[in-house]
Amino acid sequence: MLELRVNGGAFELDAPVGTSLADALRDRLGLTGTKIACNEGHCGACTVQLDGVPILSCITLVHSVGEREVTTIEGLRDHPLVEAFVRADALQCGFCTPGQIVSAAALVETDPEPDRDVIRHAMAGNLCRCGTYPRVEEAITTWRA
Amino acid sequence: MLGNGSVGLAGGTDLVPLLRDGIVRADTLVDLSRGVPRGVADGRIGAGATLAELEVDPQVPDALREACRLAASPQLRAMGTIGGNLRQATRCWYWRLKYPCYLHGGDRCHAREGEHREHAIFGNERCASAHPSDVAAALIALRSRARTTRRELAVEELYRLPTDDDRDVVALAADELIVELEVPTPRASVYLKAMDRQRWAFPLVGVAAARFEDGVSLALAGVAPIPWPLAGAADLEAATPLPGTAYKVEIARALVARALAAVGA
Amino acid sequence: MARLIKTEKEVEGRYTEQWVVVEEDVLDQWPAGARRVVGRPATRVDGLQRARGEARYTADVQLPGMLHTAVLRSPHGRARVKRLDVGRAMQAPGVRGVLTPRELAARDAADWPGEPSVGPHASEVLTCEPGYAGAPVAAVGAETFGQALAALSLVRVDWEILEPLLDGDQAVRRGSLLGEPRRYERGDLDRGLAEADLVVEAKYRTQVVLHNALETHQSVCRWEGDTLEVYTSTQWIWGVRREVAEALGIPADRVRVVCEYMGGGFGAKNDAGDHTFIAAELARRTGRPVRCALTRRDENRATGNRNATIQRLVAGARSDGTLTALGGEFVNAVGYDGFSPFTSGPMQLLYGCPNVRTVDYGAQLNTPPNAAFRAPGFVEGTFGLECLLDELAARLDVDPLELRRRNHADHDASDERPFSSKRLMECYRRAETHWARRAEVRARSEAPWRRGVGLASQVWYGGGGPPSYAWVRVGPDGRAAVITAMQDIGTGSRTAMAQIAAEELGLPLDRVDVALGDSARGPYASISAGSSTIPSMGPAVRSAAADAARQIVEIAAQRYDREERVLSLRDGHVVSTDGGSWPLEEIAGLLGDGQILGKGARGPNPAGMRVLTFGVQVAEVAVDVETGEVRVERLAAIHDVGRVINPLGARSQVEGGIIQALGHTLSEQRLLDPLTGDVLTQTLDAYKLPTIADVPEIVVEFVDQPDTHLTNLGAKGLGEPPIVPTAAAIANAIRNATGADVRSLPVSREEMLRALRETRGRAEEPVGASTA
Repeated sequence: MLELRVNGGAFELDAPVGTSLADALRDRLGLTGTKIACNEGHCGACTVQLDGVPILSCITLVHSVGEREVTTIEGLRDHPLVEAFVRADALQCGFCTPGQIVSAAALVETDPEPDRDVIRHAMAGNLCRCGTYPRVEEAITTWRA
Repeated sequence: MLGNGSVGLAGGTDLVPLLRDGIVRADTLVDLSRGVPRGVADGRIGAGATLAELEVDPQVPDALREACRLAASPQLRAMGTIGGNLRQATRCWYWRLKYPCYLHGGDRCHAREGEHREHAIFGNERCASAHPSDVAAALIALRSRARTTRRELAVEELYRLPTDDDRDVVALAADELIVELEVPTPRASVYLKAMDRQRWAFPLVGVAAARFEDGVSLALAGVAPIPWPLAGAADLEAATPLPGTAYKVEIARALVARALAAVGA
Repeated sequence: MARLIKTEKEVEGRYTEQWVVVEEDVLDQWPAGARRVVGRPATRVDGLQRARGEARYTADVQLPGMLHTAVLRSPHGRARVKRLDVGRAMQAPGVRGVLTPRELAARDAADWPGEPSVGPHASEVLTCEPGYAGAPVAAVGAETFGQALAALSLVRVDWEILEPLLDGDQAVRRGSLLGEPRRYERGDLDRGLAEADLVVEAKYRTQVVLHNALETHQSVCRWEGDTLEVYTSTQWIWGVRREVAEALGIPADRVRVVCEYMGGGFGAKNDAGDHTFIAAELARRTGRPVRCALTRRDENRATGNRNATIQRLVAGARSDGTLTALGGEFVNAVGYDGFSPFTSGPMQLLYGCPNVRTVDYGAQLNTPPNAAFRAPGFVEGTFGLECLLDELAARLDVDPLELRRRNHADHDASDERPFSSKRLMECYRRAETHWARRAEVRARSEAPWRRGVGLASQVWYGGGGPPSYAWVRVGPDGRAAVITAMQDIGTGSRTAMAQIAAEELGLPLDRVDVALGDSARGPYASISAGSSTIPSMGPAVRSAAADAARQIVEIAAQRYDREERVLSLRDGHVVSTDGGSWPLEEIAGLLGDGQILGKGARGPNPAGMRVLTFGVQVAEVAVDVETGEVRVERLAAIHDVGRVINPLGARSQVEGGIIQALGHTLSEQRLLDPLTGDVLTQTLDAYKLPTIADVPEIVVEFVDQPDTHLTNLGAKGLGEPPIVPTAAAIANAIRNATGADVRSLPVSREEMLRALRETRGRAEEPVGASTA
């Protein structure tokens, strides 16, 4: 049995060694807001925070999470960035969007007013095939509006 | 505690996918997150420090900080440790897709005859893979030393070209771990990187240069199966590019000249 | 009374004739310009669900007892299965079903008389003679995906490996073609070349590009009694319904296809796909719901691609820039199967040149089949044509924008049809301010960076067509629901449909819901491909809303004792020209549980006219001439797509198209192993999509004038136009910056350095040497 701290709650689950955090969140806890698009750490769709740090849950083994607090998109439901993304039209198909918002939330936590270069550096690991990047940049620039 | 089927797991950014693909096999994974130091102090960097921590640490020399900053993606830098970065495997597609190539113990390099635009221009006679570590090149140019669980050695001594007898490119024992890096402070240092996009790409060519009292050190990333120290710009004329990697020599010439100029050589 | 007529329908340049029933009292278009809802920016009606991760994609469908599938794919481009042994796989933990190719299943049936649910059982889509690496050979269904994968590794295959054919030119020489070469000629090319003061010739190449929608191809199939439910990530619910029903031999109404949210398609999800048939067959065999989802790696091997092209082009012009001749031989390296795109289309359609001769070859190769990818053919053909025109302009010393104006086509010269509307000249006029930055941009060059500006024109389809239907339901609470079994593939069509209905019903946008994505819960809707969703579905939705609005006005006229002609719907009220105003819920509420139901259909396309979209893009680049690095610094896009329904979503479409184009212009290329023909760039570290850090400043403008001949909206599609001219605009900016002719996509470091070397070599040649 494994205890996982997610979005302020604690969950017990049974998972074989080798299970990824992404699979545990989606299949065991039903938190399907975290998306899996490459499942090998290349695209950022599965981004969640561990103690506030954005990481790739598809290549994180659930048994290595330990005491660290996991924050998923479900835990950021009411973050102002969510509204900012909708306002700026920073989503098309939306499959990468939860990961984008999780990364962006970690960014604005450390730098509430990031400039363009900071945003581009911090968000480069979240691939969007629809090409919403200019809108993502606008959403993060205007998130407190 | 390592060896004999036990493999140490730090950030896991390379190891977890390789385990899944069956390229690395492990009976037991040993979580290194608590055992390995991660701080930065007095020119020493714990092997467990993440690239994300190092890219913003003012104590870290410019070349290494920039190498960390331009490495991989933000999430991979947040997960990946400097110790793990030094041990990462090549991005060669043949190797990653498990073609029975020289590096996997086979008798030929598939890339030499096949697609190899991202591959080596040095040390590529048997295996044309390119070593992807920006950080290793920076550390070598910075004349850094590594302390392992067994010994202390220069970072460039961590690597060896694969041979018929031993296809590994890392010269460490199975149970040997990098614990700490000792990074001298140069007068000036720089890391320049050519890649296929502005961020989140492995180096086509990475050039690290550091100037010390007694001269300038250079090392390249992405140009050989291992990080490649360079005695000077003239060494580039000894490159042995493949048809599809000749352009890398051209890029390396330009970046080496710029790096030397940047450190005031 | 309804009339039956025949109209012409086009999807991605392929025309078909279509019978269509036309209702009387066709609606007049709204006047040009922003209306109360239509033409004004609207945020996505489903934005919060998507942003919060609450939207349920096919990837998120988890059904009780659902099995997972792993598919064995050929590692060889061309091979024969001599022996396939699935015995150990069948006995592996968790395995509930194994599928093998039909010919093997028949042969082995006697050997496996055991459990009926395990197999081996036949599937039509599995093959013993794979013609490309990645072709599906066997499939395993198990309790978990891990178990399915583990079982798959126990399948033994003895291969007879054959030599694959991988080169397009070689295929044409050997006559390995899909279909006959398509030949086209107007005027006389040879005469045109003879009349020219200058002739330029060049060969261009474009690479294979992979779609890489973030949601991979996947389906979940479940039998409910005699009905098959298919949850699938698709661009065409009704296409999947028909394909699956035909394959299974059951009535189409026994197939229910659901796709409420989908994670991108870009043309690769127009068909049901092998994975859907595998899931359906395993579900039938096991009586369990079955998911078949491709991994990213398989996605990049087996779900289609933009095919490579080789283009040998020639252009002749008088010294003032008037084109006298355009000729092209286009080789589409289609793959083992697929279609030969209309790569010569831009050469035929973009300019009013009198003498044009083209031939398109579709080369059949042992490579993965192509699939439509956002303006297939035109992206590739525009790159060649528009680069060649700039080479011509440079040699003639004619301004490239002026050259394009001089050769403007004022009708479709291939069949003398008028355009339903064309405002390309207005696009050119608006491009002037961006074009005028040339001197200033070039002056900002400082070693080793050279800067320059280039432009390219765009032509593409986007008129859509019938049939498409929608229903509108107005309830007693005064809210409306649009019901139609279309799909929103991420383009924002759900929002656009809500806007159109809100406009017609005089309702605020937040009082309109849209129910889509389920073939059991709405009428037939068109494919979301070929820039056709807005022009096909939008008019049907407006017509359904107008039907409901007419009924509301009729009821209100009786209730409030007014003539119908003085009543209209506005801001959620029925209003009268005499000042009377009654909330809609008051009228609708009269009916108790009753509802007002409107229905609408897409009408015909304008007879005898060519419906096309147009535009121009201006790129600004910086080139590091020592390292071959190309940075795109600014892109201005001006497009004419008729009326714009949602300026906010439309801007996003243009930005997205340009950013995808940036990928195929600079960093994306699928590479194959030359021995096996298997894809080497299967993963997203090796196959390099643009990141946020690669994106230039993008300026988007629309002409935004309704096409007065096209439907009751005057709106054309916008999904594809913006991706068409970008590569050529960038290549032309590179020439302007450096003098180098890049002629191959992507403009990687090596291609840029090659072109620069070639230019230097040319400069060093003795005067008088040929440059041809």
